[in-house]
Amino acid sequence: MTATLPPAGVTLTPAGAAPPAPSPARRRRRWSRTSVFGLVFVLPAAVYIIVFQLIPVIYGLVLSFTTYSPLSRSGPEFTGVDNYTDLLGDAEFGNALLVTGRYVLQVLPITVVIALALALLVNRPFKGVGLFRSALYVPHIVSLTAVSMVWLWMYSQTGLINEVFASIGLGPQSWLLDSDSALNAVSAMRIWKALGSNMVLLLAGLQSIPKDLYEAARVDGAGRWSTFRYVTLPGLRPMLVYVVAMDIIYLAQGFAEIYVLTQGGPLASTTTVNYLIYTEAFQYNQMGSASAMAFVLFALIVGFSVLAVRGVSGRQK
Amino acid sequence: MDVTHPLATRFHRPGTRRALAVVAALAVTGLALSGCSAGEAASDDDTAKTLTVWFPGTNQTEIDLVTDTIVPAFEKETGAKVDVTYVDWADISTKLNSSFAGGTAPDVFGHGPAAAADFVANDRILDLDDYVSGLSDDDQADLAAALPGGQVGGVQYLMPLSLQGNLVMYDADAFTAAGLDPDNPPTTWEDLRAAAEKLTVRDDSGAITRSGFLTPSQAISRQQSFATFLFGNGGALVDDTGSEAAFDSTEGAEALDFFTSLYSGDDAVSANLGEDYSNAPAAQQPLVQGTAAMTVQSAQGMVQILAAAPDKDLRVMPALSFEGHDPAAFGGAGPGLMINADTKNADLSWKFIEYMLSADVSTEYTEGTGSIPVRASAADSDYAKNSPVISMFLSQTDYLVANPNVVGWTQIRDSLDKQLEQALNDVTSSQDALDQAAVEADKLLEANG
Repeated sequence: MTATLPPAGVTLTPAGAAPPAPSPARRRRRWSRTSVFGLVFVLPAAVYIIVFQLIPVIYGLVLSFTTYSPLSRSGPEFTGVDNYTDLLGDAEFGNALLVTGRYVLQVLPITVVIALALALLVNRPFKGVGLFRSALYVPHIVSLTAVSMVWLWMYSQTGLINEVFASIGLGPQSWLLDSDSALNAVSAMRIWKALGSNMVLLLAGLQSIPKDLYEAARVDGAGRWSTFRYVTLPGLRPMLVYVVAMDIIYLAQGFAEIYVLTQGGPLASTTTVNYLIYTEAFQYNQMGSASAMAFVLFALIVGFSVLAVRGVSGRQK
Repeated sequence: MDVTHPLATRFHRPGTRRALAVVAALAVTGLALSGCSAGEAASDDDTAKTLTVWFPGTNQTEIDLVTDTIVPAFEKETGAKVDVTYVDWADISTKLNSSFAGGTAPDVFGHGPAAAADFVANDRILDLDDYVSGLSDDDQADLAAALPGGQVGGVQYLMPLSLQGNLVMYDADAFTAAGLDPDNPPTTWEDLRAAAEKLTVRDDSGAITRSGFLTPSQAISRQQSFATFLFGNGGALVDDTGSEAAFDSTEGAEALDFFTSLYSGDDAVSANLGEDYSNAPAAQQPLVQGTAAMTVQSAQGMVQILAAAPDKDLRVMPALSFEGHDPAAFGGAGPGLMINADTKNADLSWKFIEYMLSADVSTEYTEGTGSIPVRASAADSDYAKNSPVISMFLSQTDYLVANPNVVGWTQIRDSLDKQLEQALNDVTSSQDALDQAAVEADKLLEANG
């Protein structure tokens, strides 16, 4: 017979006996000083989160089961799951899902791989490394809208990219006006924009890997590739998981770059779900169906993020 | 060990609690008093009233003119205070909708005529018929070209501050170089097409380096281009009752075929389908850069282009038509002011609108913004006389045709716009595109009653 000891700190009470009621003095002590003081500190953030994040999300969920126009005086009218069932046969929404999926899939791998290569590069000491890191990070600190405006000009017929093409004897390209190239052009901008932040995160991940592991690998005769595969990658995995998950979340919600560069065109080739939600909600005042789209997108983002995180972290086992 | 932050102890001191209670009481009293003073201000006397006004657009010239000149003069005249906010065009609908939902909408707000019907359908704006009938006969006659554009179902809801329209601007030197007479520009779309072919320049590969003619082909604007061709071919967007689409007619298909032919085929005369040249800075306009010989422009755009290229001989054509039809172009009433149906300052709101539309102020406003004056009498003003662009537009007001003011128009327009894009890209035929758009439009018109 083996006796199982309770974990340290757990108070044992006789079976069936109710725990002793705390004395009034203890009750007072539980809600005084530190607790109240902590509560006061937590309260502003908690109120902010509840009022500006939690309640709007819950209200959005409620709206997704209604028809509602902000202009209307009658308020939301309950329609059950109609908004969701309507989405099943909505060709525009289906197209927007495909565009969003393609956008994520073509930006994410390239961004992560190039960012990892850059992180490995700037993880070594060389002259001007600080400047190099800063230069790569600059795109991240500029607003996406401002960056998109600059790229809009770069992609224009008389913009920088076509000027470069002309200088090497190539004709001008309609980067954003051709349905075959528009999403690729937006993706190129987004990759450039995302590189800096991903690189910094991965650099932080690289620098958190204990140096002892590299020394041990060297002693064991591991080459560069083996060291990268068996030391660097496993050590970087938690940060990679974070980078991939965050990129999926941000990219699947792509809006500003689409709004500025293409307005969803040409031929809806860049209409992402978020852009469609914007038009539905703010151009047509269809808050109910827009909310339903938002929650479908939310569910898909959660689903794909979990899959991606499992995919990246699962290999660790 | 009981760790207590020193500040936590301070909050529990009886004196501190008393102090907090006093501060809270003072705050409540202050709020209550401010509420009282707001209530007292709501008297019938204009001198005690504050009027909230939202202007769409963030044009700095307009902001300076309204803020520094027009509003102070109105405040001096009435004694009221006017609180003006300028909202970017891209945000005006969103912000207005939010403010209506939250009960904080301004007394007076500006928007395009296309938005008026939806506000009417939701009982958000005041019927202005009584106010308009209170204007003198001369004023009503002077504003006659603009007023219909602000009506929904024959009732006045929006008072246009300017007219808008799209005409063709052309490079006279390019005409001469191509053997065309710049003093006798085309009067029909067929003639314009023939001239455009002569004016189009290509490189060795056959790519167009100078478009003979450009009309806006980007989202939304392409609907306006189509409307110009449709109206000039004797067609209409909706039927007389506003309950059914009418653009899926033979006239509509011919107009769209013409539009499509500009960009497609070996004899195309327009390059860069879908590119938004019309909103580019004046110095980057195709006419200024020499990458087009004729372009469709708004009056404001033309004024800015002339300022950016003073050495160029740029001229404006009257409205065109297809053979056998009357000239027409997209245009009519421009953005205007509406009164919130829930305002407590309806009369003061109307006074502000009336002031904005008074002869001198209206001309000053349109001159400041480079737009087409809303009053016919402005043709005699120095502004119009000194501007060949404005005088040409004023001479063409009879030919400017607006989009219909029907509920759900923005959705119908966007639906049509998507189908136009399909046809322009040769994904579908003109007739099929218009038929598909008409099905969508009829559904929306029926749903909105």
